[in-house]
Amino acid sequence: MTKSIIEFVNVQKDFNLTSQKTFKEFLPALFLGEKTHDSFTALSDVSFTINAGETIGIIGPNGSGKSTILKLVAKVMSPTFGKVEVHGKVSPLIELGAGFHPELTGKENVYLSGAILGLKKRQIDEHFKSIVDFAGLEEFINQPIKHFSSGMYMRLAFAVAVHVDPEILIVDEILAVGDAPFQAKCFTKMEEFKKKGVTILFVSHSLNTIQSFCTRVLYIKQGKLIADGPSSQVCQQYQNDQ
Amino acid sequence: MLDLISEIKNIFKWRELLFQMVGREVKARYKQSILGYFWVVLNPLAQMLVMSFAFSLILRIPTNAASNIPYSIFLFVALLPWNLFANSLSSSARSLVDASSLITKIYFPRTILVVAAIVAKIVDFLFALIILIGYMVIYQIPINTNILWVFPIFVIQQIFTIGLSFFFAAANLLYRDIQYLLTLLLTLWMYLTPIIYPADIVPPQYKIFFQLNPLSVIVNAYRQVVLGGSPPNYTSLFIALSLSLLTFTLGLSYFKSREKIFADNI
Repeated sequence: MTKSIIEFVNVQKDFNLTSQKTFKEFLPALFLGEKTHDSFTALSDVSFTINAGETIGIIGPNGSGKSTILKLVAKVMSPTFGKVEVHGKVSPLIELGAGFHPELTGKENVYLSGAILGLKKRQIDEHFKSIVDFAGLEEFINQPIKHFSSGMYMRLAFAVAVHVDPEILIVDEILAVGDAPFQAKCFTKMEEFKKKGVTILFVSHSLNTIQSFCTRVLYIKQGKLIADGPSSQVCQQYQNDQ
Repeated sequence: MLDLISEIKNIFKWRELLFQMVGREVKARYKQSILGYFWVVLNPLAQMLVMSFAFSLILRIPTNAASNIPYSIFLFVALLPWNLFANSLSSSARSLVDASSLITKIYFPRTILVVAAIVAKIVDFLFALIILIGYMVIYQIPINTNILWVFPIFVIQQIFTIGLSFFFAAANLLYRDIQYLLTLLLTLWMYLTPIIYPADIVPPQYKIFFQLNPLSVIVNAYRQVVLGGSPPNYTSLFIALSLSLLTFTLGLSYFKSREKIFADNI
């Protein structure tokens, strides 16, 4: 039996683009009767249902609203109109390492970002060795991460994120980082998640990756859901559109 | 009220994150500078020495008349809690903006960021307290059981601080000017609070303003229970508690009402 895990019902997301960020600009504008904000619609009337265990690819040109969908799923943003329902623990792999502090050591940062992702200290203790192994950073784990290369930084962040044991995994273009062996490692891990029945939302510009990895694809353009169906079919439509 | 209970539950559920966030603040400071935590003690010490020189030797401000208390201790008992208040506010006003990369990516209770900033300042405060205690031992300041009042007074201070911090953190996220306004506000506020002068020299016609300023009541109460060995003024303390609870409720509801648009506006 399949049950829906993510549901979007007629979702619209508007952003207020405030033209004045400070009082100094805002107050005169208010007196002069200038417009104090513009509204920009990032998503309009988007509806879809995702069942538990599905692997969904999201494609579309830059600025089409893909990341906004992910942020709505992660509950970082709320929709302006419509309804977003998410049942399950979400783990975002969007721009990893957001919670890292450069002065702290690798180890301290593992605990910090683990906590940000909702892990208990005990759980991190359990997984610690496996996180370090996955990142391949045994020698450097007690060094402040300001000395890490950007690849090492990303590897550590990804290693923490994949140990969260999520029900919904959100992946936004991050697999472009790291060298080929590490990317391969990441895909093996994602395949593992897929087998375990984790729902995966995958944003990428690489149609090859999407086609080989996802069963169903959402095609977003200018904030509207253009197509929703089997990956080969939707990717074909996207290519024809270009 | 319902908001408050669910928020406390939420923070409790995410307490591990709170500990990690506090740890991050504290450890990062310790590592960034050579003197590390020594700064936390050195700062108020230097401040106290210079202020004592200016206000006691040059301006000759009296301390609470009866007891024979050196001005430096008289000042320090009020200055430390004031510093805690001021540092907590300016640090939590920046807390959301500084965590913008987290706010736009991951869900967790946003109040954690504000509370963590304040708890980190409380840790600093406890370190600075060591000097005060040492000082009191050296000068053999007599104390009695009334000193236990510092705990409820401290709780009132924190309720007020957290309430204001919620407001300033959320407001500063929407308008970055708020942090500059806050700096100005804190400077003025400090002079309107009996820190460098005793509360009893305030002319009677202005007393009412001091009673309505929770910080003034709190600072004065610390002095009464630590240096005077007497219980605090219950009426004033009760007014301060009521105002603090009101500030807390208003601050939290403003924060919650803006929380949904944090990620859109940061």
